[in-house]
Amino acid sequence: MSEVALLQLIGLIVVGLGVFILLFIKGKFLRVVGFVVIVLGGFSLIALSVPQMASLPPAIETFDITQVKTSNDLASIGQKIFFSKGQCALCHSIGPSESARCPDLNGIGAKLAPEFIYESLTQPQAYIYLDFRHDGVPEEYPARMPYINKNPIALSKQEIFSVIAFLQKMSGEPVSIKVEDVLRESENGEMKVASVAVHGAQSTND
Amino acid sequence: MKSRGTLENLQSWLPKVKLSSLSGWSVFWVLLLLPAFVWAQDAATQAMSVEYRDIPGIGSRNLVWVVAQQHLLLAGFVLGVPIFAWICEIVGWRSKEPRYDKLAKEFTKLLTSAYATTALFGGILLFLLISLYPKLMAYLTDVFYPTFIVYCILFLLETATLYMYWYGWDAMQGNKKAFHIFLGFLLNLFALGIMIVPNSWATFQASPVVLGDGTAIERAWAAMQNPTWWPVNIHRLIANVVLGGFICGAYAGVRYLLAQSREEKEHYDWMGYVGNFIGVFGMLPLPFAGYWLMREVYQYNQQMGITLMGGFLAWLFILQAMLIGVLFLGANYYFWMGITYRIPGSEQSYKRPILAMLIVLMVCLGVWMTPHSLVASLAEARLMGGTHHPLLGVFGVMSAKMTVANLMILVTFMSFIMYWRAGKQETATWAKIAKSVMGALLAIAGIAVIVLGVWGYFVPAIIRINYFSVAQVLIVLFIMVTFTPLTALLMKSAKTTTEMVWGLMPIRAGYALVLNAVMVILLMSLMGYARSSSRVHWHIYGVMRDTSEYAYSPALGYAAAFMSLNTFLFCLLVAFIFWVATMGDKAKKGPDQGQPAEEPTKIPGGVAPAMAGGAPRKGEQALKI
Repeated sequence: MSEVALLQLIGLIVVGLGVFILLFIKGKFLRVVGFVVIVLGGFSLIALSVPQMASLPPAIETFDITQVKTSNDLASIGQKIFFSKGQCALCHSIGPSESARCPDLNGIGAKLAPEFIYESLTQPQAYIYLDFRHDGVPEEYPARMPYINKNPIALSKQEIFSVIAFLQKMSGEPVSIKVEDVLRESENGEMKVASVAVHGAQSTND
Repeated sequence: MKSRGTLENLQSWLPKVKLSSLSGWSVFWVLLLLPAFVWAQDAATQAMSVEYRDIPGIGSRNLVWVVAQQHLLLAGFVLGVPIFAWICEIVGWRSKEPRYDKLAKEFTKLLTSAYATTALFGGILLFLLISLYPKLMAYLTDVFYPTFIVYCILFLLETATLYMYWYGWDAMQGNKKAFHIFLGFLLNLFALGIMIVPNSWATFQASPVVLGDGTAIERAWAAMQNPTWWPVNIHRLIANVVLGGFICGAYAGVRYLLAQSREEKEHYDWMGYVGNFIGVFGMLPLPFAGYWLMREVYQYNQQMGITLMGGFLAWLFILQAMLIGVLFLGANYYFWMGITYRIPGSEQSYKRPILAMLIVLMVCLGVWMTPHSLVASLAEARLMGGTHHPLLGVFGVMSAKMTVANLMILVTFMSFIMYWRAGKQETATWAKIAKSVMGALLAIAGIAVIVLGVWGYFVPAIIRINYFSVAQVLIVLFIMVTFTPLTALLMKSAKTTTEMVWGLMPIRAGYALVLNAVMVILLMSLMGYARSSSRVHWHIYGVMRDTSEYAYSPALGYAAAFMSLNTFLFCLLVAFIFWVATMGDKAKKGPDQGQPAEEPTKIPGGVAPAMAGGAPRKGEQALKI
């Protein structure tokens, strides 16, 4: 018997118990208990009748740095980080967007030197004090650029290099980040990034 | 020298033992205990590295879920009841109506036992969290430990104030009443502090901010000021008032059903009305606070907002709509029964408006409960041209839901106004004009809410969220803040044509009050699950990932079973607290079990007619408050 079926059976028994109390028990307080039991059992049965979706955690995808041969490979990893672990796309857009809360990054790789981008990511307060907003006076929070190399995002140096490679490639620029530089930075020949899979909404309905 | 002296002292203590042999023994013991020291260090290191502990069979998360939910619901109760009691006490003080004072005292009496039970569950929860989630608790302690001190101080102040407030009730009557009211204010102020400090811990988990370098206090203060802190504070404050009001109503409902004498029935009928009144009035602004909270969530992290409203939690909001809808229907039904049974003769004149209101409420509930995507077979989906129904799909979006939520609030508010005016004849010369203006305003407001709702389909989401939805809320609030004083002014000079009769409500009124309380408790449990699940696989969103075997959020059916269990347990706990608190009264009554503990109360004379739900005697006019 599946979990849903078992819970449905329990819900039905609970509702049946409540009906039994209301039909055969005279005690007024117990009748109130029976009424409450019917309401709660009924609520559970309704909740069990809607699609049953559990949110499963995404797997951690591991990238073997030794497999990175070209700058394009690096940019490809950077793209995954940009849209997942780096959380860049939560605020920034690539191209005009109604919902973006922070500057459009379209062509940013062509406008800024990689050193400047690196500094902007790791020392955002050096140049930016208040964040961009759609309207009104700029506020300190929530759109303040976080330190990308610190919690909560905490990208490693190699991961930041990969993102810069992606920004350059996306802007039509030749990728100036060297694979050798990234390899040199790598301590154990491996870097972990979060999975790019959508936060695992998976059906558990039978 | 010092060590030698110590050894000499030891020698004097142990004269028969030679120094050399003592040294030998010392070496022996050190060698013997050395592994133990190393093992202890290992154990300490191991303990530091333990991230989770589990309870076989039950599961650590399930246990924490139940205990945390009981603690939170009890906390809501003990924070809501003082607000409720304080309001009643002020009304009683200003109106010189002793019934309110008695009601306030009756509920404050519950606080001492409820407070202890809440603290007990808080202690159990803390021990469970420290034991089962050591890594998370170590992180939160590191960030928030200065607030723990503030929390403890607030607890001490709250406890001392509660003792003075409760035990000084009878002593602080007459001239000292103002001071007692001030104590009630302090009680609620400290209670507010007790609520908002832990709120910052929980909201930090959902919407953490980047913590820079600084002192411990600076870091804690920065963490407290996370974007969802104040929206949650306001939402919980209002929700606690609602919980306090409806639990008072449920208590009165049960006591009404159990009542033996006419006096008891009158008393608990009136108490049920007051509880329902406070619950409904708290409930009316609650959706606005919820809207603000969701807006902040979206602004903080769009992904989190999408997870809540459009992701795996989307169906939860259909259940929420159902619960809120039943709550609105229950509250209105109770008002309508009040008109029918407490004001004889009024049912005929209000039959049509009640029917119209019922239809509006049912239609609104239907729209609110319409899901965006329908559960359909492949063949049905092909026929519909997708999972969105060509007609019903229109109702599945936020624009429609915001509109009907506002309309339901308007209808409920008008039910109350109708009840307030029932059985009275306005005597003011400007009454006719005032009623016409109110009618016109209500019609314009209703139309404006609908127009903005329909218009919302044709503008970008950001315009709808920032302007249209806010305008809808402001329109409804405008009606509430203008109609309430205007009706109060009208009723001040109104003549009573039908005297209010208490204690004649049918038994289903008692069940309606119980139903409302159950709905509120279920709603709080449901939205607690939503808030917690919106963090998905993070203990602290984006900062500390949940790596335990419970990193997933369970499906709605499983969660609903837990919510029902929690609601049932909480109801039992509250019933126990009420039983314990009223045991003394029963003993005082002596052999005449059917009579109330104190002198039979008068039918309220209506000095505060809106809250009292009472009208002055037939032919009388209301007194000034």
